Amino acid sequence: MAVASVTHGGYAPGMTEEPDQLYGETRELRIQGFLLFMVSDLVLFSSFIFAYLYLRNSGQGWPAGGPKLDIALASVNSIVLFGSGATMHFALENWKHRNFTKFANWIVMTIILGAGFLSGQVLEYMHIGARWSSGIFGASFYTLTGMHGLHVFAGIIYLTVLLLQAAQGKYTFTKYTGLTLGTLYWHFVDVIWVVLFSIFYLL
Amino acid sequence: MTAVAAHAGGGLADHVHPEPQGFIRKYVFSIDHKIIGIQYMITAFLFMILGGMLAELIRIQLMKASGGLMTPDTYNEVYSVHGSTMVWLVIIPLLTGGFGNLIFPVQIGARDVAFPWLNMLSFWLFPPAGLMLYASFLMGAPTAGWTEYPPMSLQGAPGTSMWAAAIFLIGVSSTMTGINFLVTILKMRAPGMTFTRMPLFVWGQFVTAPLLMIATTALGAALAALFVQREFGVAFFDPTRGGSPLLWQHMFWFYSHPAVYIMILPAFGMISEILPTFSRKPIFGYKMIAFSSCAIAILGFMVWAHHMFTSGLAPALQLPFMVLTMLIAIPTGVKIFSWVTTLWGGVIHMTTAMLFAIGFLATFTLGGITGVFLAAVPFDLHAHGTYFIVAHLHYVLVGGSLMGILAGLFYWYPKMSGRLMNERLGKWAFWLFFIGFNGTFLPMHWLGMWGQPRRVAMYDPQFQAWNQVCSYFSFVMTAALILILVNALWSMRNGKRSGPNPWNARTLEWQIPSPMPYYNFKHVPSVFAAPYDFAEPLPYRGLEEELTGVPPPVPAAH
Repeated sequence: MAVASVTHGGYAPGMTEEPDQLYGETRELRIQGFLLFMVSDLVLFSSFIFAYLYLRNSGQGWPAGGPKLDIALASVNSIVLFGSGATMHFALENWKHRNFTKFANWIVMTIILGAGFLSGQVLEYMHIGARWSSGIFGASFYTLTGMHGLHVFAGIIYLTVLLLQAAQGKYTFTKYTGLTLGTLYWHFVDVIWVVLFSIFYLL
Repeated sequence: MTAVAAHAGGGLADHVHPEPQGFIRKYVFSIDHKIIGIQYMITAFLFMILGGMLAELIRIQLMKASGGLMTPDTYNEVYSVHGSTMVWLVIIPLLTGGFGNLIFPVQIGARDVAFPWLNMLSFWLFPPAGLMLYASFLMGAPTAGWTEYPPMSLQGAPGTSMWAAAIFLIGVSSTMTGINFLVTILKMRAPGMTFTRMPLFVWGQFVTAPLLMIATTALGAALAALFVQREFGVAFFDPTRGGSPLLWQHMFWFYSHPAVYIMILPAFGMISEILPTFSRKPIFGYKMIAFSSCAIAILGFMVWAHHMFTSGLAPALQLPFMVLTMLIAIPTGVKIFSWVTTLWGGVIHMTTAMLFAIGFLATFTLGGITGVFLAAVPFDLHAHGTYFIVAHLHYVLVGGSLMGILAGLFYWYPKMSGRLMNERLGKWAFWLFFIGFNGTFLPMHWLGMWGQPRRVAMYDPQFQAWNQVCSYFSFVMTAALILILVNALWSMRNGKRSGPNPWNARTLEWQIPSPMPYYNFKHVPSVFAAPYDFAEPLPYRGLEEELTGVPPPVPAAH
């Protein structure tokens, strides 16, 4: 129902669950708000995906035989990114199990893998040779993967900030909404990549 | 769920901070939803003055068939910025950021929106976006209408990119508002405020919020694509390099058709509050009004291509879009029917707010009916490029949305200021507005049928007489709007004191003092019925202290 406070019944001042209830409700709000943010972000990607599919099928000027995308490189790169999703998951799990050292190690691993993915993308961009402004392939490919790359880049900064905050004691082992949101974001970026990889490399 | 638990807490509902005292924190960078709502309204009404001046420039230009006031290029700039202003800087901010912020959190018994800080950020993106739009005049404003179709918008002056950036910014603001409102309604309702007990204005906001969130982001994508095409030569819309101008139309209308409902669903909500209050009768068909809003919102995402019948859409696609568009007339008709039935047999109090609400019923219905005409492909092919469209869209946006806004202004003004607006001046303004509005836009129906093309600075001399009629009546409408503005400013200091509930209305915002106090409620109330049963006692508990200042007796321990 609307406000979770009701299900908990009354409290007397000084009882320990007081801040926890506030925390629980705030956590719910923040997670829901963040999910909705991801929905609208997804719409942003979907619009450009629609534009790509529309242009590709409008029958004018799509490169015949397909542009030279390096599917091997992209596959390795995808594995790197999915691996980072796994390490992020381990990081959060270790936080829940109250192990800061392991959490920090896994999150550093995630950041390294994310950076590795971005380097792979740079290689792929150099390999393709087309430019952003050189036609509808360039427009679709660089806009979509570029937007995704920016999301990964923002994610790396985001995770770094979270790690620093966690080191400074901003989160406790029972109150860690910020870390949950960071994990959600990172998985979201992973999922977007699945779609982009499918439509550009497999379609 | 027990209703008594409202006073138990330690949760979010009881988490309060002291009210900020400094002017800056209290009135400028405020995180209070009511202040933000008023900030939105003031800003939007200022932009309405600018947009209205552009509208009058258009009407003065069109008084002579040969134009005479402006060059065609300037005329193009003026009507493009007029449209963009009214849609993005006036109607949408007034209905969502303005009245939405001000009223709906109180109506669900919340003390603020879910993310007050984000709310402040949403507002503060809005004035810069508006200034950017007007700054585009300095570098050559956009000339391709508020829809900015390529290839014309690709060849437009540098200000077109500025336009895209400005609308993108206001889109970000709308998206954040949508997320904020949706979470607030989903999570922060008072105990007992179930979905079918929510006031219909809340339903309006609840259905609008996902539209704001989803459709606006799609527009953001289209604007970003237009911007990078213009500035970096990225070939999205350029047919010479494989791009497609039609792609823009798809991306633009995928937003802008739902945007039409963003601009009307909250107004529907307002009307649904005002009609029962002033006819002293429960709203007829509460659930049907709420569900028909949902139906309109869902259908609204499936009809965008009806704006593109003349753009070369595949015939196989035209029929489904035509049928889906016509389907929207059903939920809309359900609403009109419910409103008229609410009035039927009621004890009608002809206050200014009620006059505007009834005026809304009349003009919006006309606009809705011409909408059904235009949904029919054969008719649309004939009328699309003509003044018939101008008549239709102004009947729904001015006769619908703006009338709703003005009704809401007279209705909720006491909740902002603690004073009533002057009723006598208000009634004069209503009649001037109603006559001026119909006189301006009704002749455009037949001007359109006779074939006067829209968006052109000059026209065939045979249309001149009727165009002059339109222009003269538009001055009457402007006079009415100035009168309302003067009324609002004058009443701020000199209006009659309203007390908490001048209209004897039953929703929660009327059960607390006017103007509404910081954090709205001393205790978050609990709700045990829908608000519209005028014969029953008020369906709230826990409000005793709001008006008397005396806390309720402590119940015996259980």
